[in-house]
Amino acid sequence: MKRRSFLAASLLVLPTASRAALPGTPAPALSLPDASGRTVALDALRGKVVYVDFWASWCSPCKRSFPWMNEMAQRHGPQGFEILAVNLDRKRDDADRFLKSTPAGFTVVFDPAGVTPAAWQVKGMPSSYLVDATGKVVMAESGFRDDRKAEVEERIRAALAAR
Amino acid sequence: MPDAGFVQIKYLDYRDWQPGARRMRVENPGFYVMSPFADAWVVEGALVYDGMSGASPTWHDTLSGASGEGIHDRRAAGDAKLTRYFERFSVGAGIAYSHENDYISRGASLDLRVWTADKNRTFAFTYAGAADRINTPDGAASHERKYVNDFLFGVTQVLSQTAIVQSNVTYTRARGYLDDPYKTFDARPDRRRVLAWLTRLNQHHPASDGTLQLAYRYIDDSWDANSHMVEAAWVQPLPYAFSVRPNVRYYTQRAAYFYFDPPFPSGLVPGQPYTADTRLSAFGAVTLGVMLARDFGDGWSGDLKVEYYRQKSSWRAGGDGSPDLLPFSARWIQVGVGKSF
Amino acid sequence: MTASPAMRPARLALALALCALLGGCASFAPPQPWEKEYLARPSMQFDADRLDTRNVQHIYYSKEGAAGGYGVGGGGCGCN
Repeated sequence: MKRRSFLAASLLVLPTASRAALPGTPAPALSLPDASGRTVALDALRGKVVYVDFWASWCSPCKRSFPWMNEMAQRHGPQGFEILAVNLDRKRDDADRFLKSTPAGFTVVFDPAGVTPAAWQVKGMPSSYLVDATGKVVMAESGFRDDRKAEVEERIRAALAAR
Repeated sequence: MPDAGFVQIKYLDYRDWQPGARRMRVENPGFYVMSPFADAWVVEGALVYDGMSGASPTWHDTLSGASGEGIHDRRAAGDAKLTRYFERFSVGAGIAYSHENDYISRGASLDLRVWTADKNRTFAFTYAGAADRINTPDGAASHERKYVNDFLFGVTQVLSQTAIVQSNVTYTRARGYLDDPYKTFDARPDRRRVLAWLTRLNQHHPASDGTLQLAYRYIDDSWDANSHMVEAAWVQPLPYAFSVRPNVRYYTQRAAYFYFDPPFPSGLVPGQPYTADTRLSAFGAVTLGVMLARDFGDGWSGDLKVEYYRQKSSWRAGGDGSPDLLPFSARWIQVGVGKSF
Repeated sequence: MTASPAMRPARLALALALCALLGGCASFAPPQPWEKEYLARPSMQFDADRLDTRNVQHIYYSKEGAAGGYGVGGGGCGCN
């Protein structure tokens, strides 16, 4: 989709919730166990550019977002880019089944009680946030859309360049 | 907005009968496709075909064709719809066309959906209009026209993690040729106003993993054939990716004010509306059905449904069903295959 | 709509149906976006199977006095 038509389309779009409070503020705390039970904390990743993604097995756009996230992790990982995918499934079995058919080449942590999404003001599934090297949220996205991929990758590059 | 496309083929075999006589047989293949594209658009289309044959009443429950001749008719219909999605609302436009040897229908529709930021409440507004032409081979209806306008207002509300309810009010205004040209004598008003109020609830029960589906609809009709409908179904997932859905429906209606009981044509007054069509009599009807479905993986799904329907005057709620009519029964079997992509 | 003796059982059925439906309203707790796991199921949606709804409503429309409520604009038929 060309730049101009995208701008025209976005003018027709009512203000989105994803442009609300979070960007520009320090990222909320995040400390959750990964598949092996080891605790992963966002604070410990200070100095890297982190893409925090909230997902669940029952969310169909999430299935499409994983291959793209794998691509981003491979392409920008060496430059200091990390992905932290927070799973919100109630039952671990459902998440495991999803990961078996849609593998993740990045860190997956689990929050079955849904404690973190409220703090991050998650408005839709999936929701993703780009946290820069200083720990500040610079971008919040609700949903996964093909026409946003290029722009999001631009923001990742910009955050990596600013390290 | 749907995230994935879906294509589906179904085949329906329908038969109805009354004591001592078979009536109609309909074979109905159908096709449906839905696809999102360009990130904010969805296109949908359907094509259905009806092959109808058999006997139909000329009045009350007296069937046509002593010699066994009956009706052979074919109907082909198609419709398409385009919807544009925005952050908090969507706009859709659709067209519909239906053709059989004596009846052509052309229609268009517009709809607007608006939802809250948390997507827990959606409002729907739809308008549909149709212009029909009726022209029977025997000349009973010669280039007659019929116009129908439908207005729908609906609210869908998510009640909790496990319950969602929807309530729709539909106002339908029909004018023009509303008679049934295949009945020996049938003269209906040239206007009809129908108000239908449907409320349905889906409730999931995590303990059993099953879902209860309930619906109630009240219809207020300017021809007086007011009705109530209640329906209940249970969707139960089973092992090996199967699920089963039994359902039951009860329907009860009053007679139209110009419906007259047998014998035909008592009550007939030239210049006054008259019908001996049992569809406008007072009756109750019950449907019992079951559907079996399976998820075959990779987006493939299949389903098989059987339903049995019986309409009887004595089943009208409260009694007072139209007298001296035979019960009417029908059964249909529907098989379908679908693929999401 | 005055209640004749014939209408009373119908009114009772209506009252019971509404109570059953409203029973679902007893717990009004609209969920957060990440709590919509069950709502994503086809059995929790309305008109998940368009062709099925169309077929079934077409049958009832042609065998009963009146119809409506399920959505409009699907196309007409010669079912006068």
